[in-house]
Amino acid sequence: MLSTFHGLEVAKRGIFTQQSALYVTAHNIANANTPGYSRQRVNFVETEPFPPASMNRPQIPGQMGTGVEAGSIQRIRDSFLDYQYRNEASKLGYWSTRSEAIAKMEDIMNEPSEFGLSQAMTQFWEALQDLSTNPENEGARAVVRQRGVAVAESFNYLYSSLSQIRDDLGQEIKTGLLEVNSILKQISELNEQIKAVEPNGYLPNDLYDKRDALVDELSKYFQVKVETVPSGGNALDIAEGIYEISLVNQDGSTVKIVTKDSYSKLSVSPSISGDPTNPDGYISEIRIEDVLGNITTISYNKFDSLASGRIKSLIEAYGYGSDPDNVKGYYPDMLADLDKMAYSFATMFNAQHREGYDLNNSNGVDFFEMNVSDNTTGKGAAASIKVSDVIMSDLGKIAASSKSGESGNGNNALYLSMIKDVQITNGSATLPSGSGTTVSVPITGGTVQTFYQGLIGKIGVDGQQAERMKTNAETLATSVDNNRQSVSSVSLDEEMTNMIKFQHAYNAAARMITAIDEILDKIINDMGIVGR
Amino acid sequence: MRVTQFMLANNMLRNLSNSYERLGKYQEQLATGKKISRPSDDPVVAMKGIAYREDLARVKQYQRNIGEVHNWIDSADDALDKVGLALQRIQELVVQASTDTATPEDRKKIADEIDQIQKHIVDVANTRVGGKYIFNGADTKNPLFIGYPGETGFAVNGNQGDVEIEVFDGIKLDVNIDGKTLFTGIIGMLDNLKAALNDPNSTGSTIDGYLSQVEAQQDALLSARSELGAKQNRVEMMENRLSTQEEIATKLMSNNEDIDYEKTITDLISQESVHRAALSVGARIIQPTLVDFLR
Repeated sequence: MLSTFHGLEVAKRGIFTQQSALYVTAHNIANANTPGYSRQRVNFVETEPFPPASMNRPQIPGQMGTGVEAGSIQRIRDSFLDYQYRNEASKLGYWSTRSEAIAKMEDIMNEPSEFGLSQAMTQFWEALQDLSTNPENEGARAVVRQRGVAVAESFNYLYSSLSQIRDDLGQEIKTGLLEVNSILKQISELNEQIKAVEPNGYLPNDLYDKRDALVDELSKYFQVKVETVPSGGNALDIAEGIYEISLVNQDGSTVKIVTKDSYSKLSVSPSISGDPTNPDGYISEIRIEDVLGNITTISYNKFDSLASGRIKSLIEAYGYGSDPDNVKGYYPDMLADLDKMAYSFATMFNAQHREGYDLNNSNGVDFFEMNVSDNTTGKGAAASIKVSDVIMSDLGKIAASSKSGESGNGNNALYLSMIKDVQITNGSATLPSGSGTTVSVPITGGTVQTFYQGLIGKIGVDGQQAERMKTNAETLATSVDNNRQSVSSVSLDEEMTNMIKFQHAYNAAARMITAIDEILDKIINDMGIVGR
Repeated sequence: MRVTQFMLANNMLRNLSNSYERLGKYQEQLATGKKISRPSDDPVVAMKGIAYREDLARVKQYQRNIGEVHNWIDSADDALDKVGLALQRIQELVVQASTDTATPEDRKKIADEIDQIQKHIVDVANTRVGGKYIFNGADTKNPLFIGYPGETGFAVNGNQGDVEIEVFDGIKLDVNIDGKTLFTGIIGMLDNLKAALNDPNSTGSTIDGYLSQVEAQQDALLSARSELGAKQNRVEMMENRLSTQEEIATKLMSNNEDIDYEKTITDLISQESVHRAALSVGARIIQPTLVDFLR
C-alpha cells in the first residue's frame, strides 16, 4: 500500500528541485560576463523508488517512482582544454615578452634613420673627407671634432639607454616573481578552502573557477604542470580535488611549487640584499623555497631547458651566467657588442691618428679616450668613449697630414676616414696608411661598419621571429580559448530556454499539489456522510 | 560547436583591433613614405638600407671633394693664364729692347717694367685661394716666395709635396702643380734678363739671345697648363661617373625602402572598407536574445 500523502511528497520534491534549477539558472545569468566563470547545471537524480527490494515489502504491482532531487550542482568545463590553453599561454607569455624586449632595443638603436649611430659615423666620415680636402682649415677641423664628439656621444647614449632598459627588465623580473608568489599563495589558500568543502559531498564550483583563473594567470609566467589529489572524506566522484603544481623543464623533470598543504616562494640569486626577488645585475639561479625552508635551485645553465613563459623570456633578455664576467643574454650581448665596436673603432682610429702630423708638425695624440677594463673585449669602451681633452682644447692637434710640415696634405685625414671600412682578420687590422702597422681589436672579422650592420640585422631577424611566434601563439591560444568558451561560457538563449522549462515544470508540480489536495478533500470532507 | 554571445563579442573586438593595427601600419607607411620603420619589419630591407645610405653618402661626399678639386685646378689655371700674359708682354719688351736703336736709357726703362712684371709674377705665385697658397706644394699655409727678388730677405719656400684629394674609392688626384720649378725658373730668367738690360755693354744681339729663354719658360708654362687640362678632363670623367653612381645609388635606396604610394593607398582604402565591414558586423552581432521575446 502506498501512503496517503505519497503524491504530495513527489510533487513537493518536484517543486523544490525545479526551484533549485531556476536559482542555478539565475546564477548563470548573473555571471554571464564574469571572467573565468564556467556555467553550472543541476544534475537531476530520480529518488529511490517504492517499495525497495526487501524481505517485507508490500505486495503491490511494480515499483512506484518517488520523484526527483538535485543530485549535485556541477560546473561544465573541460580540463583537457585548460591544459592546452595553459601550454599556449606559456608560449604566448614567452614570445610576447621577448618581442617587447627586442622592440625596445629597436626603438633605442633607431635604425634605419637619420639619427642613429650609423648616421653619426657617416657624418664623421664626411667631416674627415672634408678635412682631407681642406686640412689647414680651422672650420673643417672644428667640424671633425664636433662630429667625433657626436660619434662618442652616440655610443654613450646607446650604452646608457640599453642599460636603463636592462634595469627595467630586472624590475619586471622582480614584479613578475612577486606576482607569481602571490598567485601561489592564493592557489594554496583556495586549496585549503576546497579541502574543507569537498569531503562533505559538495562541489565548490566558484572556488574551482577562481583557482583555474589563477592557474591560467600563472601559466603566463611559467609553464606549469597541474596534478590533482583527491581530498578524501565523502567527496563526490566528480569533485576535482586539490591542485599540486610544478614547474616544468624541457626535459620533463619537474619542481613542485604548490603541494597539497603548502606552497613555495620563488626568488633569484644574486639579488639585492633584503629584496630576494630583485636581481642584482645578472641571474645565476632561481631559488624555490618551500614552507620548511628547504631550497631547490634551478641553475643558470638549466634556464634553456625551462619550458617557456614570461619569466624565462625576461631572464634571457636581462642576462644570466655563473658570475658577473660571464653573463649571456639578449641585452648583455648587445652591450658587449657595442663595447667591442667602440673599442675597435677608437683603437684603430687612435693608431692611425698617431701616425699623422698636426699643424705644429708633431705626431698625433690619441683622438679618442676611454676607460677599458679588458683590452680583449673592450669592456667599458662604449660607456666611457670621448674625444680626448687635448683635441678638445686645441683644433691644431688633429693630425690631418701624413708628412711633417705639409699643412695642405690631408692624407692622414683620408686614412682616418677609411678606418670604419678597414678589413679585420682574426682580430687584427692593418692601418689603411700602408705603413704596415697592425692593431689588435676585439672584433674578429669584417669591418666596423659591417659589424654594426650585422648587429642591426640580428635585432631585425630576432624581432621578426619573436613577432611571428607571438602571433602564432596568440592565434593558437585564441582558438583554444574559443573552444573553452564554447564549452563553458553562458548562453543567454540557453538559460532562457531552461528557465521556461523549469518554470513550467514547477507550475505543473504545483498544479499536481492542487489536484491531490482536491482528492484528499474529497476523501476527508465528502465521504462517510451518508444519511446526513 | 556551441557558440555564445560572449564568444561573438570577443571575436568582434579582436577583429576590430587587428583591423586598427593594419590601418596604423598603412598610416605610418604613408606618413613616412618608407616601407619599414624598424628592422624587424623587414630585416633585409633594413640591412640593405644602411648599406645603400652609406653608398649614397659616399657618392655625395666625392662630389663635394670634386668641387674642391675644381677650385684648385681652376684657380691654378687662372693664375697661370695671368703668368702667360705677363710672359707675352716680356717677349714684346725683349723684342723692343733687342733693336740696336734702343738706347741704354730705353733698356733701363724696359728693365724697370720687367721688374714690375716680375713682382706681379711673384704675387701670382703667391696666389691664395680659400686661405691656401696654391703653388707652394703641400705647405699651403706658407707662400712660395717671401718678399720680392732683389730685396733683402727674399727667399723661396718651395715645398714640392703633392696635395691629394680622394675623388672615388681609393682614387686620389694630386691637384697642385709643381709651382717651385715653374716659378723659380721664370723668376731666375727674369733676373738674368734684367741684369742684361741694365748692363750698358749689352748689344741688340745679346738681348735677342734671351728670346729663346723666354720661349723656353713659355713652353714650361704651357706644359704645366696642359697638365692642368689633362687633370680637368680626368675630373670631368669622374664627375660623369659620380652622377651616374648617384642616380643608381638613389634608385637602389628608393626601390629598397620607399613605398609605392599607389599601392599603399589602395591597400589603405581596401583596409578601410574591411574595417567598415567589421564595424557593421559589430553592430549586427549584438542580436536580440530570447529575453526580448519571452513575456
